[in-house]
Amino acid sequence: MKKNGLYAKEEKIFQDKNKLYQAHSVKQIAYSTDPRDFGQVARSIPCQEACPAKTNIPGYIRCINEKRYGRAYELNRGANIMPGVLGRICSRPCETACRHGAPDNGVSVGICHLKRACADLKSPMHRIIEGLYTPSGKGVAVVGSGPAGLAAAHDLAILGHRAVIFESLEKPGGMLMYGIPEFRLPRDLLMTEINNILRLGVELKTAQAVGTHITLETLSQEFDAVVVAAGCTKPRVLGVDGENLENVYNGLAFMKAVNAGKTPHVGNTVAVIGAGFTAVDCARSAIRLGAQQVAMHIRKTMDDMRIDETEKHEARFEGIGVESLVQPAEILGKNGRVTGIRFVRTRIEKTGAPPYKKSVPIAGSEFVVPCDSVIAALGQSPDVPDVSDALTGIEKDRHTTAMKGVFAAGDFVTGSTDVISAIAGGRRTALAVDLYLTDIKRKKTVVRLESHTTTDRPRSYDFIDRVPMNTIAMEQRLADHTNEVETGFEPDQALAESQRCYLCNLKYEIDPLRCIYCSACIDVAPKDCIKMVETIPVTADGTYGRYVETGQWDRVVSITIDNDVCIRCGQCYDVCPMDCISVTKTELIQMDMDE
Amino acid sequence: MPTHDHYVIIGNGPAGNAAAFTLREADPDAAITILSHENICFYSKPKLVKYLAGKVDEDALAVRTMDAYRKKHIRLRLGQTVVHIDTDSRSLHLDHMEKVHYTYLIIASGARARLLPSMKPYADCLTFVTEFNDTRGLRQKIANGSRFFIFGGDLVAFKFVKILTDMGKQVTLLLYPRAFWPHRLTPEMEDTIVKNLAPTGADILADDDLADIVPEGDGYGVTTKQGVRTQADLVFSFNGLIPEVDFARGSGLDIDHGILVDETMRTGLDHVFACGACAQIYNPDINTYTTSIGWPNARVQGEVAAQNLLGEHRKVRPAGRKYFDLQGVKIKTAWWEDVESD
Repeated sequence: MKKNGLYAKEEKIFQDKNKLYQAHSVKQIAYSTDPRDFGQVARSIPCQEACPAKTNIPGYIRCINEKRYGRAYELNRGANIMPGVLGRICSRPCETACRHGAPDNGVSVGICHLKRACADLKSPMHRIIEGLYTPSGKGVAVVGSGPAGLAAAHDLAILGHRAVIFESLEKPGGMLMYGIPEFRLPRDLLMTEINNILRLGVELKTAQAVGTHITLETLSQEFDAVVVAAGCTKPRVLGVDGENLENVYNGLAFMKAVNAGKTPHVGNTVAVIGAGFTAVDCARSAIRLGAQQVAMHIRKTMDDMRIDETEKHEARFEGIGVESLVQPAEILGKNGRVTGIRFVRTRIEKTGAPPYKKSVPIAGSEFVVPCDSVIAALGQSPDVPDVSDALTGIEKDRHTTAMKGVFAAGDFVTGSTDVISAIAGGRRTALAVDLYLTDIKRKKTVVRLESHTTTDRPRSYDFIDRVPMNTIAMEQRLADHTNEVETGFEPDQALAESQRCYLCNLKYEIDPLRCIYCSACIDVAPKDCIKMVETIPVTADGTYGRYVETGQWDRVVSITIDNDVCIRCGQCYDVCPMDCISVTKTELIQMDMDE
Repeated sequence: MPTHDHYVIIGNGPAGNAAAFTLREADPDAAITILSHENICFYSKPKLVKYLAGKVDEDALAVRTMDAYRKKHIRLRLGQTVVHIDTDSRSLHLDHMEKVHYTYLIIASGARARLLPSMKPYADCLTFVTEFNDTRGLRQKIANGSRFFIFGGDLVAFKFVKILTDMGKQVTLLLYPRAFWPHRLTPEMEDTIVKNLAPTGADILADDDLADIVPEGDGYGVTTKQGVRTQADLVFSFNGLIPEVDFARGSGLDIDHGILVDETMRTGLDHVFACGACAQIYNPDINTYTTSIGWPNARVQGEVAAQNLLGEHRKVRPAGRKYFDLQGVKIKTAWWEDVESD
């Protein structure tokens, strides 16, 4: 434990920030809007930075570590609205960014599985927390009840507005309800989290297609504002001969049929075209419909597939093959039905613009794959005219349109992305609508800094293997296509996985005025994280740039901890003879403007 | 080529060695380093099963001794595992936190045993024989053991069945029809294999699958889906190989099953080449991409990679289709050269 010098040391930190608060006799809390702190949080907590909704990931993982599952759930809800849903189907940009998965550090933390764990393991007595503003008397129509629409409606309701969702289909949820198979996302769980939104007073009108049953112009007149979150519904097509044959499906239509309890004919051999989550869902659904051989065909490489390793593993486990570096040239048929696909092999060629590579057909490399059905899961794009021809001038960043009081959110604006991005987009749009309606900026983002007296984790946690998700056997998967494949973590598994988190929200700092340059911290550091620097530049946006290191003692101006490299093992903190290393908990939080 | 270049080769197999010695021939002054995660000089992998059976000793495995590297001034660093390639700074990160800088890199990291997705939960119970590191301690266990279970059906599996039964061991082989991937054995092919292996005296299970493996005493209890239950001192998995390329992911190299290269063994990055079993290359003769191409082809690829690194423009030539004998079953494959192990 640290002692003595702690108070004076932290006094200095917080006085420097000129906002000192006395929380209690030991802890001190400060709130900062200093760009250097925002920059530090963005770089040092890569998981949170990668999350479109900016979920406080180290915070909720720490709560799981303390078995405070309800608190962990609420920390999630505060950012991403539907933790139970996202804990099952999120595309996990956080895990790609996780420092535990960096070179030399092992495998990323199972952040998504932990998100699910807090939803699964929270007490049945758990109560959700919402900070409601007083009613504004304003009404907002939300077009679409997918993730973006639900998130926008949720936040608009919180902000005091009457939100009414117009959903064209019979059930709410959009892609969550119709695009994702039940074996990945149980519908009772989905409805529970949707109802958590509706119970805020959000009104849901289903089977009300804007553009068909009611016009956007009418909504615009009847409500103070409109949010169009109609998603992406127009399927991309292969553009090859034979696409109109029987048993050629587009991915979304196929999943809609399966999720409605129908059994589209797939035959014994199924060729899926596509490399994303929908393509995998189609392939796995085809297996459950009785297909004996299912293969995904992708234009680029296995590494370029837009799915995470868990999905790849589950697909392989279920016997689904992947044919990479191929693209369809023609769908072959007889008597109007599919008999096969003529493919051409591809090679990868570099380009000068993102994504910096493309697949190029190899001349003379055509070959035929016999199959009974084809599922083309190439993604979708927004169908703007389907909503209204007048809907023009969509501004991606501001979520506005050329129609006064009409905003747009989610995939309808950005094109097909993922659920967490759509939720984040919906929430941003709600704030834009609120500002439009009230002319009040309600929220500000600040960095909360709290003194911390422990490192919260021993070095041994760094060597815990990632805990695999529990799943059901193949026989159970095939017995009923609604059987959820992943069954979640037991408490001891959640604990072990939570211990793997480095807790990157803990910032380690060396007080250069107290440091005696004994090098003890450098001797015990498992990483090259403690650095002698001659300059810490400040960049144009006001954040700190990369340290300029030096090996010459006469040029050293400070010894410092590089929190981008630090794995928060705490060994430097424990060994320092001068107690000159401090730990500060940093969090990005939303505060009311008048706080 | 400037003499201060540092050519680094990852892998000490036939491709890596061919590359290193070709480089040395053409560039007497350059620094050449071979990094290998194994702790043994260049050795013959095909002989590993005989080594395990006690039929040959460690010396007999050697293809090249340390002296040969010293004479050519090639630095051989054994027991050095590369965990990441930073192609921007042209450096390799080793697992003991060292960074090794290079000017040109040849990746010849070979292949490792394929773990079937369905076997992932039982990975700790399975024994793989892919490299010498795997065999440490195994030789004695095999000598002392009496019952062995083999799951799979690739070339090594059948060779191993024969060797173990010759030693008087009791062997159960569970045929996995996709072990010799990407080919899938038909029921007729399985019948032929069962018939041809019958003289070995091994119990051969076909049309079945593993249901469970649990540690029992010093060995394992194995249950199949058809209800066969047996005990074994060791459970071996022989289900083919996959390219060893995990360390190269995220480096900017195009990776599919293996590292994508053209017929000159160039990757998408001009200073990185790949060859041997870790490389994936399009073969126009058979109109498909191939990996794990066998010892002689790996050697040729290593030479071609080294020559092209030095400025030439040689292409590897596809060997065309060949028929491969898998216990009486003729399998049409490509770029495969069988290497006799004795």
